[in-house]
Amino acid sequence: MTDQRATSSRYRPGSLELLALGLLVLIVGQGWLVGFFDDSPALQTGTTVFVAIVVQALPFLVLGVVLSGAIAAFVPASFWRKALPKNKVLAVPVAGAAGAVIPGCECASVPVANSLMSRGVTPAAALAFLLSAPAINPIVLAATFVAFAGQPEMVLARFVASLGAAVILGWLWLKFGKAQWLRIGPRGHLVGSNSWHTFRLTAAHDFLHAGGFLVVGALAAAAINVLVPPSIMQAVADNPLLSILVMAALAIVLSICSEADAFVAASFTEFSLTAKLTFMVVGPMVDLKLISLQAGTFGKSFVVRFAPATVVVTIVSSVLVGWWLFT
Amino acid sequence: MRRDVQAIILLLIGGATLRITLSGTYLNYVKEVMQPFLILASGLLVLFGILGLIDVLRSSRVPAGEAAAEADFEQQLDDELDGHVHGHDHSHGPRAAWFLLLPVLAIFLIAPPALGAFSAARETTNAIPDLSEAQAPPLPAGDPVPVRVSDYIGRAVWDDGLTLIDRTVEMTGFVTPDPDGGWWLSRMSMACCAADAFASRIKTVDAPDLPADTWVTITGTWIPGGGTQSADAIPLVVVESWVEVPQPRNPYD
Repeated sequence: MTDQRATSSRYRPGSLELLALGLLVLIVGQGWLVGFFDDSPALQTGTTVFVAIVVQALPFLVLGVVLSGAIAAFVPASFWRKALPKNKVLAVPVAGAAGAVIPGCECASVPVANSLMSRGVTPAAALAFLLSAPAINPIVLAATFVAFAGQPEMVLARFVASLGAAVILGWLWLKFGKAQWLRIGPRGHLVGSNSWHTFRLTAAHDFLHAGGFLVVGALAAAAINVLVPPSIMQAVADNPLLSILVMAALAIVLSICSEADAFVAASFTEFSLTAKLTFMVVGPMVDLKLISLQAGTFGKSFVVRFAPATVVVTIVSSVLVGWWLFT
Repeated sequence: MRRDVQAIILLLIGGATLRITLSGTYLNYVKEVMQPFLILASGLLVLFGILGLIDVLRSSRVPAGEAAAEADFEQQLDDELDGHVHGHDHSHGPRAAWFLLLPVLAIFLIAPPALGAFSAARETTNAIPDLSEAQAPPLPAGDPVPVRVSDYIGRAVWDDGLTLIDRTVEMTGFVTPDPDGGWWLSRMSMACCAADAFASRIKTVDAPDLPADTWVTITGTWIPGGGTQSADAIPLVVVESWVEVPQPRNPYD
């Protein structure tokens, strides 16, 4: 019956047939393909990095879609409106601080924030949560403490700079944001025959959606990882301003999960503490993977405004906190 | 995208991940602690895929009236998946789910290996922790005594080799050609996954030339040189014997 509908309602190339044909071509061409990759260590390394990012992020993404599916299916819409202060200006910092107690990486927080919005939470508060949850959750702060063993003040710096940036961006959205910029997933339709069915449909749908964009981000990060010589960034470390901007740019292109980025930041031994802080504040809030995830979830007109604002606010916040705590 | 194709994609990505996790190949990409989480996550995706296929089969067998209602419901789902981006940008949208086939293909067709000499040669520093504050504990008994590559570097660079004097060590790593001749005994370590891996390298002395990415276990002794108290330092080891070995189960240090 799906076939019938596919032909009658609108033109479909027949995605099942497409899938089968594509797989067939690839299986037949496997020998050539493998030989092609074997001949190029760069291509091979890029593929390893690509698969590694996807595999590493998968459990966190599944956790996120399960959470968002559970919110959609089991938590009544009224709960969120009751849990957060009525005053929207006050709801932003409360939602931001809530990020400190709920573990979950940035891939997970995009679908969660989306379902919060579709459950009636004011977008500014949901955005503050979206930004703060991956940056200041207990797992991330513990990882930062371990990575910067000799400098526990880095944990405080990360917490303050990230929460500050998240709340400021929430308030900015409250003041200047327009509803038509933001496409909130039409969760209303996705209702199954019972709560469990709704939960499963929502989780599977969110996974397919967010997973596709995670793959695009992982591809970009893998390409840059292999193509940019590490010696170039070493030369930059001596210039304080340039080093901060480069670390911010690196955080954006490398798209490392926030659970891991402290170890990477710590390994940039030549860079100043403020530059490393910038890396850890920018990365969980805006990077290639997140931009493509957010574009897929909230729409392009949201991302072209939100991503640049996030970059600016996170860098300023890191520099101010770094100046306060590290000098 | 049709619902049966969605279910198949869930099955494929879940199945591919489950397979590399159970076969041990996942150690080429992520840390061992990820195993239970990967099994749980990929198992759940497989389950979602199977239940999704059952949904599709069931809906093709129900009586006409129910089928129409079900079709409406599916239409809604499809509209959501395909439709809600219309008027925005066609490259973003649920069609992104097709991209999930790329990691599946990479895993099944290419099966990318663990990071090797190509990555190790790109690194300019030995990313081992600065141990200058703490004195390294003495090496355990044993002749030769097995030592990890990064441990050797830590002792040689940040502890002036004090704990390595008069000891014969045994280390396993892969060959990374040194552009200045000879090769480094190397090992990659990861903070989280292969995307943030960093290299540990030791310059071998008196070793025969070997092709890149050959895994070897060497015995040897420390000699001063290569620098100390700096991440740029690459310590030396005089190779006394070497034997080619298969890649360890966990290729990362």
